[in-house]
Amino acid sequence: MRLQLQSDMASRTAFLLFFVNLFVSWVSATPLTGGRVLAVIEEQYDSTKYSQFLMDLKGRGYDVKLEPAKKDTLSLFEHGEKVWDHVILFPPKFKGYGPALTPQKLLEFTKLGGNVLILTSPSSIPEQVRELARELDIGLPPKDYITVDHFNYDTVSKSEKHDVILANRPAVSPAVHNYFSGKQDDLIAFRGAGHTLGNGPLLVPLLTAPRTAYTYDSKEDFAYAQDPWAAGTQMQLVSAMQARNNARITLVGSVDMFSNEFFDMKVQKPGSTKPQKTANKEFCRDVAAWTFGEKGIVKVNSIKHYLSNEPNAPVNPNMYRIKNDVTFEIELSEYDIDRWVPFKVPSGDSLQLEFTMLDPYYRVPLLPSSTSSNATTFTTSFKIPDQHGVFAFRVNYKRPYITYIDEKYSVTVRHFAHDEYTRSWDISGAWVWIAGIAVTIIGWIGFCALWLWSAPAAAKVGVKKTQ
Amino acid sequence: MPPKKNVSTPSSTSAAPSAAVATPISTPQTSHNVPSSNPISILEGIFKNYSQSTPQRTKLIDAFLGFLVITGVLQFVYCVVAGNYPFNAFLAGFSATVGQFVLTASLRIQSNPANKSEFASVSPERAFADFVFCSIILHLFCTNFIN
Repeated sequence: MRLQLQSDMASRTAFLLFFVNLFVSWVSATPLTGGRVLAVIEEQYDSTKYSQFLMDLKGRGYDVKLEPAKKDTLSLFEHGEKVWDHVILFPPKFKGYGPALTPQKLLEFTKLGGNVLILTSPSSIPEQVRELARELDIGLPPKDYITVDHFNYDTVSKSEKHDVILANRPAVSPAVHNYFSGKQDDLIAFRGAGHTLGNGPLLVPLLTAPRTAYTYDSKEDFAYAQDPWAAGTQMQLVSAMQARNNARITLVGSVDMFSNEFFDMKVQKPGSTKPQKTANKEFCRDVAAWTFGEKGIVKVNSIKHYLSNEPNAPVNPNMYRIKNDVTFEIELSEYDIDRWVPFKVPSGDSLQLEFTMLDPYYRVPLLPSSTSSNATTFTTSFKIPDQHGVFAFRVNYKRPYITYIDEKYSVTVRHFAHDEYTRSWDISGAWVWIAGIAVTIIGWIGFCALWLWSAPAAAKVGVKKTQ
Repeated sequence: MPPKKNVSTPSSTSAAPSAAVATPISTPQTSHNVPSSNPISILEGIFKNYSQSTPQRTKLIDAFLGFLVITGVLQFVYCVVAGNYPFNAFLAGFSATVGQFVLTASLRIQSNPANKSEFASVSPERAFADFVFCSIILHLFCTNFIN
């Protein structure tokens, strides 16, 4: 009786828990990588300056918390776990950030999968950010260096310095995923300093400076730049690093890009006839969405490999034989803001399967074979090479702007069993030698018969005599 | 038993001297003196000598050996011309012929009456039995190896 009661209770709590779970998952319709955002911003005044951007984040499901940089209780971690999923660093009013935001702590934060969006302004690049940038191989200009462009500046804001420069969206490339391209005639207003990128393979530019832009020391009173610090398309306005664990750190050279002022600004290029609205709002949303993992997240749903020619062959066996015909399938989805969509390989790129034992023996393209509502299946078939050993199916797809795919599954490749070789009579080339053996044996039988028949006469005489 | 021995031995001894006598008579008188410089007559002499003095069974062995040589050469030429693709088939076919040749040559040595003194313990019957046994093993091996 009591036992029954207990089980009844248990089922009831399970039922309740189920509903609580359902409720929680409905309420927290958070982004894929988590919705806890820490915005390190100095004053209330500042937050109203960037209210459009911050409200946009909140509207997309982020729980944005504003904290001053020097707050003592501020911490990125609690009990070794990160307390925030994403961090936005606005430039501080004073010399630097508090002890919670040292470069080491920020890197540790990214090691745990957190994303960081760093906004800088020329007058205030704190030492912590410089150190972090140095570690990422991003070159930041010295204090008070600004980027100007005398050909792509905004004529509406009437700045003598030409420091509000108008950058185009990055060009569409057929070889990479385009998350920042938008419309091609969009203009993005930028007031700040560009930076340079080192050779790190994990660094990617998000917005490149126009050809005629350059960075110089604004404190020097020259009408022109004596000695530009960086110039042209080698200089980046916004760039990012995607770590090997797919955590993203984005560095923006201009905090004004994200301000309400620039979101609503009408700008005009020299030579154009009428002012147009900036695309800052859309571009900044793209940057934040990509940094916080709403875009460019690729997921491997399933991997299958099996013998091509046998309909009932087991899926994902541990062993194949040399010269087997094998089919390999991989199902990929890509996250797009709020749902999983089929992953598409750009037209100028190719998803490849490697069949490796130390070195790739084969590197074959995986082609889309079927698409469901939220995933694409890429398939390829090939013949296993004439080499036995432990091989691996490997898909190593590391491209800028998307999370890294590196899948590896080992299989054993055995040689032919002794009864699996082709019989000699099935190979027409062997017929001559089969005939050779046959003739030899027949000849031998005939020889034996003749030998026995032609016994020497002497022995016969002897036998006759005895009888 | 003794009578048999007595009867058989004279006949064999009488046969041997007659052969021995016959050869000297034919060689010095006709072929050696007059046409020694003529190679054709030398070959004719060798052939005549062979066909007269060689036992029937040895001739049979020689014919079989010749047949095996032809078969082996044909197989090898085919391998050179057409390639050795099923290499095990080539090995099996060719080694069957070569092995058979070796075994047959051994049989010829052991069964030749001229070598009787060397193989005192091996009677011609015993030699033939060995030959059959080894040949069967060889044939089994080759048919198995050609797959």
